[in-house]
Amino acid sequence: MKRWERIAAAILTFIGVGAAAIAYDLGFGDFNHPGPGFFPFWLSAILALVSSVYLLTRLGADSRRVPLWERDTWVRPSQAGVVMFLYALSLAWIGFFSSTFLLFLVWLILIEREKWLTIILVSTLGTACLYLAFTVFLRVPLPRGAIF
Amino acid sequence: MDAFSPLWNGFALAVTPGNLLFALIGATLGTAVGVLPGLGPAATISLLLPLSYALGNSVTSIIMLAGIYYGAMYGGSTTSILLNIPGEAASVVTCIDGYQMAKKGRAGAALGMAAIGSFIAGTGGVVGLTFVAPPLSAFALKFGPAEYFSLTILGLMLATYLSGKSVIKGVIMAILGLLLATVGMDPVTGNTRYTFGLMILEDGFDFLTLGMGLFGLGEIFTTLEQKMKAELVTTKITNLWPTLKDWAISKWSVVRGSLIGFFVGLLPGGGAVIASLLAYAVEKRVSKEPEKFGTGALEGVASPESANNAAASASFIPMLTLGIPGNPAIAMIFAALLIQGVTPGPLLIKEHPDLFWAVIASMYIGNVMLLVLNLPLVGLWVQMLKVPYSILAPFIVLICSIGVYSMKNDVSDVAMMVIFGVLGYILRKLEFELGPLLLAFVLGRILERSLRQALLISRGDISIFVTKPISAFLLGIVVLMILISIFWSMYTRFKARPVPSNGRA
Repeated sequence: MKRWERIAAAILTFIGVGAAAIAYDLGFGDFNHPGPGFFPFWLSAILALVSSVYLLTRLGADSRRVPLWERDTWVRPSQAGVVMFLYALSLAWIGFFSSTFLLFLVWLILIEREKWLTIILVSTLGTACLYLAFTVFLRVPLPRGAIF
Repeated sequence: MDAFSPLWNGFALAVTPGNLLFALIGATLGTAVGVLPGLGPAATISLLLPLSYALGNSVTSIIMLAGIYYGAMYGGSTTSILLNIPGEAASVVTCIDGYQMAKKGRAGAALGMAAIGSFIAGTGGVVGLTFVAPPLSAFALKFGPAEYFSLTILGLMLATYLSGKSVIKGVIMAILGLLLATVGMDPVTGNTRYTFGLMILEDGFDFLTLGMGLFGLGEIFTTLEQKMKAELVTTKITNLWPTLKDWAISKWSVVRGSLIGFFVGLLPGGGAVIASLLAYAVEKRVSKEPEKFGTGALEGVASPESANNAAASASFIPMLTLGIPGNPAIAMIFAALLIQGVTPGPLLIKEHPDLFWAVIASMYIGNVMLLVLNLPLVGLWVQMLKVPYSILAPFIVLICSIGVYSMKNDVSDVAMMVIFGVLGYILRKLEFELGPLLLAFVLGRILERSLRQALLISRGDISIFVTKPISAFLLGIVVLMILISIFWSMYTRFKARPVPSNGRA
């Protein structure tokens, strides 16, 4: 656990230093006339400082030998993340109807490993319900693709 | 009589058919998300923010969103008692004794006491809100930019202090939230900040995209780590109305829980989760038979369930009167008000008395609705628990996506939400609390504006923050809290050090 925390603290320190440098370039101004970089500069500097203190507290041996992920528990969340990201990309290309149907299919097959009847029923009815609820009743202009 | 006339006017507005309907929708949805594990009130409110925008009426939409928040507190107990899984975070401790009671065939008494305790505490909390909010609001009118800056710092500090085990992690999250709020156009000079030439970042991050990503998707990703398997207590639920003996046992537990919940709910970062944990701990401490706790003690259900409802009502006070939201769900309602063009704060009660009092009045009505929804209709919620989570999860992520898309009809917002979802999941894994990040993001613009205004007024003299008495007092508390946490951390480290042995081995 500590190893991951050290990595997180190092990344946060790096973000703090980088953001402070960018903020300084934006224009610090002075206390009388603060520039656009004034507030973000102080925030970034504090982030770098606190994160480096946090990094220091995470040095040394790990008393809690708990792995970040037990066995393969990371697999399903990672699959869900990738599927969601692909869904966001496909929305603009193939439209809401097709991409939503595909998301249901992939989610229920890959992530949940449901039975085929459940997969087909939920994917078809789910897409239809969401389409009716949002497009017909709530009149949300959802992206259209080749089919719908 | 005159003192109550604004409240009566609020009731007149709250009982119009449209507002009553949306109070009922809010209470029902709230109970549903409370019952369903894996979806909290903050995520649900963020899901429904686009709908509240579409409603167009600020009073109606806030009545609905408030109903979701306090409704979730009622619903959470059902899952805890029957499934031994908290429906939402504030019902974690209810599992301990509630599930044991259900296993002994006393599920009805546990559910009934939880609902009645929730009703008493929730209504008590609204009474407190009715009387505390107006004077606090009047006092806050004296606040200038310096006072607001210090108050916001105190709010953030309290939120980080109370939100999790590690103060330093909370502070990091709060600063990250403040930094994220600076992305986009500088409100004073019009310069763009941290956009890296990307058009999508020029308006800054949207609150909804951030909230749904961190809390909606993030929660789903975390829940996906384990296949949800739980044993539902399926014995027939009877005798929901507590017996005289039950009342005698738990009446003071309800009172204690309500008071603890109300005062904890007032604090930023306090909220319903801490209130219920504290109430359970106090109940065990004052009990003559502490050994009963964990084996099915009715007090162990009555007190935390009362506390989380009182806290839910009380947490509206700092948001409505000071403009400081105390927890993520309230921050979502804060954002909903901003979307509607209403700025929560001391002027709210003066500028929008109709909204202020109608929301309070609707909370009295909503608590009655929830009692009806949760006692006679408990069987319906039990049926809902039988819908497998594997089917619900894709629906939830899709509704999140449509909600985010519908705000600006922009697909890139969905992609951004997924990125925040992944970030939320990783931060959860590393045990970073997300509450301070979201609160800081909401308060970021207010903090920057008050800092700049205060410096402009004082012509660059930063002593303005310590020469104004209210500001100095508020900052004094912040400093005291930092010192206490440093000394406490040093003390615990010192105590944990191994004692060197005198003799040489």
